[in-house]
Amino acid sequence: MNDNNSSKKILSLVLLLLGAVLMVAALWMDITKTYLVVNMGSVKIALRGLFLVLGALLILAGLYYIPTVLHHRAIINFIFLFPLLFTFAVTVIIPMFVGVFYSFTDWNGVSYTRMVGFENYAAMFKEPAFIWSLLLTVLFVVINMIMVNLVAFLLALLCTTKLKGVGFFRAAYFLPNLIGGIVLGYIWQFIFSNVLTKLLNSPHSALATTNTAFIAIIVVYIWQYAGYIMLIYINGLATVPKDVLEAAQIDGASDMKTLFEIKIPMIAATFTICTFLTLTSAFKQFDVNLALTNGVGTVRNFMGARLSNGTQMIALNIYNTAFARDQYGYAQAKAILFFIILACVSLVQVRISNKKEVEM
Amino acid sequence: MKKFLAVVLALAMVAALAACGVSTETSSAPAETPAAETQTPSSEAAPAAETTTTSTGIRLFNGKIEIAEPLNHAAEAYEAATGKHVEVESLGGGVDLQATLKQYYQAGNMPEIFVFEGAPDLANWSGMVVDMADQAWAADTDAAFVDETGAVVGFPYTTEAIGLAYNKSILEKAGVDPASITGPASMKAAFEAIDAKKDELGITAVIGYCANATELYWSTGQHLFGQYLDAGLARDDTTYFDLMMNEGKLDTERFTHFAEMVDLFNQYSDPALLISGNYDMQVSGFAAGKYAFVTQGSWIGSSLTNQYKDQYAAAGNFECGYVPYCFEDGIDTILTNAPSHWAVYKDGNVAEAEEFLNWIAGPEGQAIMVQEAGCVSPFKSCTVVANDPFAGPVSEYAAAGKTSAWHWMGQPSNMAQDGTGAIFQDFAMGTETVESFVEAMASVIPTYCG
Repeated sequence: MNDNNSSKKILSLVLLLLGAVLMVAALWMDITKTYLVVNMGSVKIALRGLFLVLGALLILAGLYYIPTVLHHRAIINFIFLFPLLFTFAVTVIIPMFVGVFYSFTDWNGVSYTRMVGFENYAAMFKEPAFIWSLLLTVLFVVINMIMVNLVAFLLALLCTTKLKGVGFFRAAYFLPNLIGGIVLGYIWQFIFSNVLTKLLNSPHSALATTNTAFIAIIVVYIWQYAGYIMLIYINGLATVPKDVLEAAQIDGASDMKTLFEIKIPMIAATFTICTFLTLTSAFKQFDVNLALTNGVGTVRNFMGARLSNGTQMIALNIYNTAFARDQYGYAQAKAILFFIILACVSLVQVRISNKKEVEM
Repeated sequence: MKKFLAVVLALAMVAALAACGVSTETSSAPAETPAAETQTPSSEAAPAAETTTTSTGIRLFNGKIEIAEPLNHAAEAYEAATGKHVEVESLGGGVDLQATLKQYYQAGNMPEIFVFEGAPDLANWSGMVVDMADQAWAADTDAAFVDETGAVVGFPYTTEAIGLAYNKSILEKAGVDPASITGPASMKAAFEAIDAKKDELGITAVIGYCANATELYWSTGQHLFGQYLDAGLARDDTTYFDLMMNEGKLDTERFTHFAEMVDLFNQYSDPALLISGNYDMQVSGFAAGKYAFVTQGSWIGSSLTNQYKDQYAAAGNFECGYVPYCFEDGIDTILTNAPSHWAVYKDGNVAEAEEFLNWIAGPEGQAIMVQEAGCVSPFKSCTVVANDPFAGPVSEYAAAGKTSAWHWMGQPSNMAQDGTGAIFQDFAMGTETVESFVEAMASVIPTYCG
């Protein structure tokens, strides 16, 4: 027993040490830019990546063989969680911190020359175009949160009745959601620019004036999203227990009463999910906006400036700041503000909705 | 035993993963990457691996998707002649080229030769491009991109022209001599004359002008606006450009004359095209002979002979020409320039990149670029003329020295998209008059310049 333990100890130590050496070697190669390459016939294998991966594996193996009964389970847990934690860190956590860092620089996507402190954050509140985008997005979210849910719920009610061809309608309402936003934007651009212009005999496209273009984006968004939310409502309505409905029927409740007193309270959780979904996705609206108007729209006087980005939502504003203006650092600062707003709104919303469910 | 098996299995999987990644490590000189880089082998970069394993290949990042095929031919011909491989990567049609390049840069995957448009693009890469003043081709052209320090950093691969393009056969039938259009009065007279015979000529409108700010902000806010900046001026004259860039001002008199010309276009354009149309509609309409004039540059020539060749043939393969945008008497130039340039990345395979560029500038390369790609050669030694409806007229203007430069390329890169394009649209919709259009432009420009 003791012998086994000490041999394990040595094995573990050797593995850990070897792993550490390999990883350090890989890091050293990366920092000093010396690339060891092994020729194997026609294939060249660079050793840096191999060293790094092998080193990491050896360390994990070393951890596994550490002779401890007390912490063995914890170590195993860590080893199994490691791939996921590592991926999460590399794709989400680290980029987020890097992003926060860049928002304090004048990064242009290639390099930065100086740290600017909170200049980026201060500048965005002095930029009328950005304030406009922010307010417009809030308005868009409020309108859509109500309209999408209303339309979707009505459609769901329609699709849960015993009408003929309900299956067809369900699929048909859901279909727009399967089309990508860009394609959808171009389809509707054609409808607004050509079809409607001719039908209504108007002198120019509805997309050419700010107000009508904004309405157009809302219409397209509802058309795209209502079918999806409808499916969730249908699912919710299907979970209302039959016996409750039957009892209501026997008690003589009218259809309206059943709907408002039984069905809607019973699917309060579904309302939470749907409001949450529409809220966040409307906030992040980008592709339809890009394809339909690309943000164009004249606002004659806003904060003393004439704006040309009358239909530009905040996501598109951020995108343009980075890619059209090459101000990546500034765009990053805007994106962080966007993130904070979105996080706050979502948290508050979920909290309120959860409370309601408990009361019920 | 089971545990051992699991460890072996895990090892095998990771080794497989590592094998996917190793080839990316072999690129000769990965760029210095900022903090965002992680240590993991990037599987995303793997597809590019095949080109980087040979140390002698170079990569060309082309931003003009229209000439992708001819460029591939050129690369093949070059490889056949010299045995050196050139990988042509063509992007375009709405792809944000500079953003893509920045991603390549972050991934340590920079091409040896890459495209850039004007000074704003180049500013991103300052200190990373090679000065090619010592190259043989540099002495053979006036169109190279020279940065503010005097370094020759941009290789011109084509010349494009912006003038008021016309359909020669329609003008002939209407009895309008294009040479007579030399100022605002004669332009108006010509428009009126053609408009009066519209039905007889079978055309939809006198001019195909589109001010849709969503789709064609670049046409109005850059190319047309560029006429105000440069039309009629010597190639190195930056009077109005400097006035705009340094002080954020417009020359009211000149700009009012320009606005009056745009007003004329608004009046005589096809109402279906003017605000709600798009680029395809505009160019195919011109190809089909629906418009006597069109406000697009020489790049539509290849669209007439390829994309819209059926309509163009049905309209009789008419000859084309240019009149200047003469919004003031005495303006007699069209605007020609290299629309974008190729730069050589300093940490790449510079020697081979320069060798390839010299070959492109030489007779074999130019033959392919001109005849197949339809480029108008920016090189003086080139004698080949393209089979393109606009190649002839452009060469004539160039030979007569009646050309001005494209200083609009130096304007802030988002000015047209976020600012001025929409004002052209408002003007076209009739919500602005000439005076208020001038005022609106003057009020918006200082937020971008000066």
